[in-house]
Amino acid sequence: MSKTLNRRDFIKTSSATAVGVATIASGITLTTFAANANENPVTNAKRWGMLIDTNKLTEVEIDGMVSACQQENGWGGEVHSTGDQKPTWVKKLKVKDKATGRITSLPLMCQHCEEPPCVDVCPTNASMKREDGIVLVDKHLCIGCRYCMMACPYDARSFVHEDLTDQREHMPRGKGTVESCTLCVHRVDKGETPACAASVNSDAVIFGDLYDATSKINQTLKKVQSTQIRADLNLNTGVRYSGI
Amino acid sequence: MYRLVTVLMVLLVGNVFAHGHPGHPNLGEEASSIKASGKIFHTDGLSVIRMMHPEFLNHKRDKTLREGVRTKEGSLKGCVNCHANKDKKTNQYYSVNDKDQFCSTCHQKVSVSVDCFSCHRTTPRKGTK
Repeated sequence: MSKTLNRRDFIKTSSATAVGVATIASGITLTTFAANANENPVTNAKRWGMLIDTNKLTEVEIDGMVSACQQENGWGGEVHSTGDQKPTWVKKLKVKDKATGRITSLPLMCQHCEEPPCVDVCPTNASMKREDGIVLVDKHLCIGCRYCMMACPYDARSFVHEDLTDQREHMPRGKGTVESCTLCVHRVDKGETPACAASVNSDAVIFGDLYDATSKINQTLKKVQSTQIRADLNLNTGVRYSGI
Repeated sequence: MYRLVTVLMVLLVGNVFAHGHPGHPNLGEEASSIKASGKIFHTDGLSVIRMMHPEFLNHKRDKTLREGVRTKEGSLKGCVNCHANKDKKTNQYYSVNDKDQFCSTCHQKVSVSVDCFSCHRTTPRKGTK
């Protein structure tokens, strides 16, 4: 069955191989392959963020954001927890300028810091930041020490005090672990926006990739005044506010 | 004496038939229908999934949570969706970790307590996201 390769065949084969390499090198094949982002790990080429314009956002819309979050992630139905024990992933906050008396309402949730203090203090590495900037609790590793709740300047994290059943299948939650806003990571990975941002019809809440120069959030941040809450802590938050 | 031997024989034979239940009563709604259709879901073989499922699940949990890889292989949601049984009368799903349900059957026998379901949902949630 041995086949001798003559000169003509050899040239044919090598030219075919050269064409194959060129196709891959052109980048088109590689781009198509990477299209399904869920198969590949997230990278730090993106950084997810949110811009909340408190001038445009009404109090009703903020309440709508809170209930959209409850609906999406299944918190808020705890019956045995009282007062401060109740989980709160996002809350409506009123701030008053003492000099002028101007009252502003804003939704406050995990700010998804670039330098998260909750990650620094976690003894088990359960509190973690994904490559794309989303700060999460790995409940598999969480021992419920609540150091992260102490460390968070935004009071964004909650501890689950009671046994839970009937959780959302995309959002496991359980007694003895700490939880907080995940920026609806399960939706973001599917290419959707977080439930709270989706519940607001106007452009008062913009979600997107902070690094992408063509994204709406990036372009808006270039134009309008915006601030980070407790910017003095240099945490470089992913959630920015405009109008406060 | 013969009567005693007969009684013992009947008990023994009865025992054998009691364990030889046709099919798997707690295999789960969808898994049973896949099995009945002759398709094989766990293509690596049942012994692999029986022995290795804790490793698959642990590996997948880190991939999903920490890296955002959301493929179907090794997904606990997939296990629950396939292996949950329904109560025929009420048309409600049993929890997969209830006594004598899919997960518990073996774990009870080998005295392994799993902690998946203190956080994870134990029944399929069809028709919703």
